[in-house]
Amino acid sequence: MLQGISRTGPYEWEVPVGFVPGMRVPANFFLSEALAEDLEPGAVQQLANVATMPGIVGRSLAMPDIHWGYGFPIGGVAAFSLEEGVISPGGVGFDINCGVRLLSTPLREPELAKKRELIERLFRAVPTGVGGKSTLRLSAKSLDGILEGGSSWAVREGYGLDRDILMCEQAGCMKEADPSSVSQKARQRGMPQSGTLGSGNHFLEIQVVREVYDQDAARVFGVFPGQICIMIHCGSRGLGHQVCTDHLSILESATKKYRIALPDRQLACAPLDSPEGKAYFGAMAASANYAWANRQMIMHYTRKVMEDLYGIPYGEMHLVYDVAHNVAKIEEHSWGGSRMKVCVHRKGATRAYGPGAPDLPPEYETTGQPVIIPGSMGSPSFLLRGTMTAMEKTFGSTCHGAGRIMSRTQAKKRVSGKEVRETLAQRGIIVRAPSDAAIADEAPSVYKPSAEVVRVVHEVGLSRMVARLEPLGVIKG
Amino acid sequence: MSIEELEHTADIRMRVSAPTLEELFSEAARALMIVMYGCPGVGGKSMNVSAQGHDIESLMHAFLSELLFLSEVEGMVFSGAEVIVGGNALEGTVKGEPFSPEVHSGGQGVKGISFSGFCIVHEQGSYILDVIFDV
Repeated sequence: MLQGISRTGPYEWEVPVGFVPGMRVPANFFLSEALAEDLEPGAVQQLANVATMPGIVGRSLAMPDIHWGYGFPIGGVAAFSLEEGVISPGGVGFDINCGVRLLSTPLREPELAKKRELIERLFRAVPTGVGGKSTLRLSAKSLDGILEGGSSWAVREGYGLDRDILMCEQAGCMKEADPSSVSQKARQRGMPQSGTLGSGNHFLEIQVVREVYDQDAARVFGVFPGQICIMIHCGSRGLGHQVCTDHLSILESATKKYRIALPDRQLACAPLDSPEGKAYFGAMAASANYAWANRQMIMHYTRKVMEDLYGIPYGEMHLVYDVAHNVAKIEEHSWGGSRMKVCVHRKGATRAYGPGAPDLPPEYETTGQPVIIPGSMGSPSFLLRGTMTAMEKTFGSTCHGAGRIMSRTQAKKRVSGKEVRETLAQRGIIVRAPSDAAIADEAPSVYKPSAEVVRVVHEVGLSRMVARLEPLGVIKG
Repeated sequence: MSIEELEHTADIRMRVSAPTLEELFSEAARALMIVMYGCPGVGGKSMNVSAQGHDIESLMHAFLSELLFLSEVEGMVFSGAEVIVGGNALEGTVKGEPFSPEVHSGGQGVKGISFSGFCIVHEQGSYILDVIFDV
């Protein structure tokens, strides 16, 4: 482990105040010894940098999928006081409300005939990759509807069922959305991309529930061994990216205006109650709503294909849950014996509210919220449930994925996209992507083992394992 | 002039160098296109471009962000730029060709230009830019 860092538990590590100049609170992260071997010094530096930001409450935190990002580390969580704290796009990322949803079907694995045809049909139904554009022609009024309404807009327009709305974190809509803070440039990028998957690590996967660890929670979540499910991973597309770019520039000036000293320009921020902070928060919330509508539309296209190909009634495919893993939200938490409202930034981290927490649908009040952790092509994904431990230790947060361990340059040197595709085909996993280059970038070997990341959050109690899902077919963005 | 990819686990980190500041902007444009499309564009369709910053680094950041926007909304793959830099602003043209899925699917979407580790230095007769593209 790096010098200056101390171990405070079997999986818990502390970065003390003073590790970088100006830290206001200590930083903590959660790692097993196996994962610690790949810990990058740059990621720890970024975690410590976050602890220098004004109004940070308690700790700067990182989940076991911590890795070197920009601004916050990926896997980073920090809560800021509403009175003295700041908001920063560096704590959310360019892909605002990148997130995951899980759709269950009544289909069992042996009934999944015509798998290749299913993949091809889904690939045609959901635009993917760089330059992927929607067939939908949105009006400016419709775009405003998306920015204000999120999932509700999509359901109202016929892209789903009323129940879907409740099965999203925050009911798929941040009420603080302010479309007037979303620039014309962001709107121009968002108009043709609604209902598209995007590129990079985004995917749509046909999965099978391979193992159930928690029978009671699985029953409540509606999943069972051998069941076919579909996982959708994407975000707010060019609209969210442009909102981040626009406001990063505004907040860079605001950082100087409010005389905030920062160790990294990407942490540019402004007080939560300042005009610049409010404008970013409103635009970010609007982008989050765009992402929820986006995933809702992609799920609708998926349901239509499943209905057509297998004759499954639309209403018998249930949204298990939808989680955001790049977002800042106002939430109420307890820290140091006080109950307070804070602005929780999660950058590559998932909300993991435990039993009885607010904002859970009635069905999940006793289990805690479903937490969906995507694997990468070929590696398993996991369904977990939120816990009270997460509420106490991490502002109700857990990990978001596997976390990369190999750069794209190394990945391309090690293995070609064609080889990855063929190896996965031998294991019965069909991969469809706009290009082989996109497949090599996201090969399973470039990520930390998702099972180990999930084991750590399970052992620490930040969330508890419910089921493991394995891929059968992947559409890569 | 050179474009070199440096190690970065999560995103794409590039080092771009050129003998003049104006050429650095053109090379940086090509670097962005290589990441997004696997290769820079060819051809001579030109578009006007302008950008403003409060120092040379924020000007480069604004320029690359503008090209990302133009490439996406205009469906263009740029081959380079001819710009005149005056103080902390620039004006000029970018040249390129329309996006074609058959030719330009070798890259990946860039979400944004990160300020982390973003720097321009002038040493031994070269301008050198380090930049991380979020992908």
